[in-house]
Amino acid sequence: MTNLAPWGTPAAEPAVPVAAPDLTPSRPIYDGKLGELYAIYLRHLVLMILTLGWSRFWGRTRLRRYLWNHFAILGDRFEYRGRGLELFIGFILVLLVLAGLAGGTYLFWRFVLNARPFASFGLFDLFSLSVFLVGFPLAFVGQYAGLRYRLTRTRWRGIRCGLGGSARGYGALASSLSFANALSMRLLTPVVSVNLARPRISNVRVGTQGFVFAGSAGDIYGRYIGYYFLNILAWIAAGVVLFMAIGGTIEGLGITLSREELGRLFTEPSLRTVAILIALAFGLYVVFGLLILPLRCWWQAYLFRYLVSRSRAGTVLFATAISTRQMWGFLVLNYLIVMVTLGLGWPWVLHRTLKLIAGELWVYGAPDGAAIRQSGDRAPGYGEGLLDMFDVTGI
Amino acid sequence: MAAARYYDGTTALVQEVSVRATADELVLFRLSDASLLARWPLADVSVLGDTRHEAVPPVVRKGSDERLLVEDAAQRRELAGLVPRLQPLVGPPPAAGGRVALLGATLVALVGLFWLAVDVGTEYAAPLLPYSLQAKLGETVYDELTDGKHECEGEAGLAALNKLARRLADAAGYKQDIVVRVIEGGPLNAFTLPGGILVFYSDLIDQAKDPNQVAGVMAHELGHVVHYHPMKGVLRQYGLDLLARLVTGGYSDVVNGMATGGNVLLALRNGRAFEREADADGIAMLEKLEMRADGIASFFEQMMEKQPKDMAAAAGIWSSHPPTGERIAATRRPPTGKPAFTEAEWKAIRNVCK
Repeated sequence: MTNLAPWGTPAAEPAVPVAAPDLTPSRPIYDGKLGELYAIYLRHLVLMILTLGWSRFWGRTRLRRYLWNHFAILGDRFEYRGRGLELFIGFILVLLVLAGLAGGTYLFWRFVLNARPFASFGLFDLFSLSVFLVGFPLAFVGQYAGLRYRLTRTRWRGIRCGLGGSARGYGALASSLSFANALSMRLLTPVVSVNLARPRISNVRVGTQGFVFAGSAGDIYGRYIGYYFLNILAWIAAGVVLFMAIGGTIEGLGITLSREELGRLFTEPSLRTVAILIALAFGLYVVFGLLILPLRCWWQAYLFRYLVSRSRAGTVLFATAISTRQMWGFLVLNYLIVMVTLGLGWPWVLHRTLKLIAGELWVYGAPDGAAIRQSGDRAPGYGEGLLDMFDVTGI
Repeated sequence: MAAARYYDGTTALVQEVSVRATADELVLFRLSDASLLARWPLADVSVLGDTRHEAVPPVVRKGSDERLLVEDAAQRRELAGLVPRLQPLVGPPPAAGGRVALLGATLVALVGLFWLAVDVGTEYAAPLLPYSLQAKLGETVYDELTDGKHECEGEAGLAALNKLARRLADAAGYKQDIVVRVIEGGPLNAFTLPGGILVFYSDLIDQAKDPNQVAGVMAHELGHVVHYHPMKGVLRQYGLDLLARLVTGGYSDVVNGMATGGNVLLALRNGRAFEREADADGIAMLEKLEMRADGIASFFEQMMEKQPKDMAAAAGIWSSHPPTGERIAATRRPPTGKPAFTEAEWKAIRNVCK
């Protein structure tokens, strides 16, 4: 019998064992129905015509209420509690601010610039310049402020969401990064993508639960450089293919269109014009659809997977395996749907998008509900005016 | 009894509960141990939203962030049957198919009506717009168009042109002010702006073979003025642009782009109709004053001589004017009637830029 105590005990296990983190995977559930969504959307369009567009704030709110409440994570549906009136007030306020800005610009032009030697600098030049200097940054500010508005009107498990950070700071960051990116022939895209994703993710809160974004541009530069040069090659190839195809088709079919015939084709449209336009559109689609766009979707899918996988909320992790093909459906097909249906396909696009998210977003683990508390942050009283003015492509 | 999810409003904890409705309160029991969780006085209970938008409208208690969600539709109905205040919980929504069909038909009808209102309405609305507003708009466009160009100031010439313009306008019963201005140089053209502003380029005056051609062109431009064509064009453009925005829900830039393209074609079609109307009415005004009315046709013929190929016909649907050949045939008149200007007036007009 050996007595090892008290010095002989092997390295003791910790008194409270650390539980392996719960990483049960789950996916969101979207149970919206396209017909119901269309009923809401068509009602919105009818009211839009009757009110000459002033009902859009209320219509947009109704669509959101539907989409939010038919989308659930971990079995708990989201709740959208924004009101049309808040959007309306936001819009009016921005209208007033912009009217003030325009008035100021006019006075500046009238009393300062109109004196020689600036007289040749017209009001319209000044207007374009101010759109460039003020409009672009304001559009970014509007995107961030709009996101904040939507999040503060969103509840999950009864807990209000929110977005910290400064919209103006985001506007300044986004404008300067975009400007630098344009100057560097888009070689800074990974830096821009990661640095603009960071505030939009890490400032998100569900009550007191913050999000963390741990991405870094260095991680994705290799893939981006590959995409960058492949893209250039693809454009060259597309150009060559298109050129040869056009030349080949025209020669092959023995069609020789004189300049005059070509002119008549478009000034007096006939069935033949339509046929030729369709053939041309199809040719362009084949060349771009097969070369340029898939390449772009390949990069976008990669970027999206990266951004999602570097985000977490406490112990809850996220991942997605969205493929190039799915990204194509999201970016290209949705675009085509809206275009071909003259806008009437918009609810379908929303429906498809939420189904895609529900199918492809993986959530690992569950939050400790008792630890997340309602946040005491004050939410903005009105919303989205800037977004409405500069960017109307969101829901 | 209904099974529900309960959120306490202060934490993100989810609790499965059963709900019992009594005469004056909702009583919530934890499912795990059947213990009492909360009692909500019915007077404080309400539903947020409705089944048309929310899949599960939350039941809330006044003054708190607590929420009660009954996922099962049958149980929601049962609960609403017991508590009239919870009526909005009752679903499912009426079948979407019928609503979609009805709303779709309404939408199509409204688009048609709106289109008609724009097309017909501008006809009546344009003359009703305050004249000062039209003039202001015209002046703004004029300043933009003639920026950096020289406006001719020969007083006698301008007076002669304005006198004829006034006479023609009176002949057409047009009461508002009309101003004729001459810009030095080309192109060989004249145009009309909102607010009765008529602009001639001096090249047109210099190259005119006789005063009747200038009078003819002026009568044509006055045809535009008396029909408020510039204003109608602007209003129609604005109306159809608005329609495109409304129908696309203001969501799609692409569609708006396409709509703008369509609008341009439509504006050009309107333009061709306007030109025909102005040609016909210009002639009518001259004939009413018993003046020589062959100027319009002879001006077109002169243009055709310079450029034998009919540019307007060649441009087809992209042309803002009808084919010139067609216009000559429609406006040809005999070379008889009173002259539009006296010898002295015509001389002054020729020298308006000197």
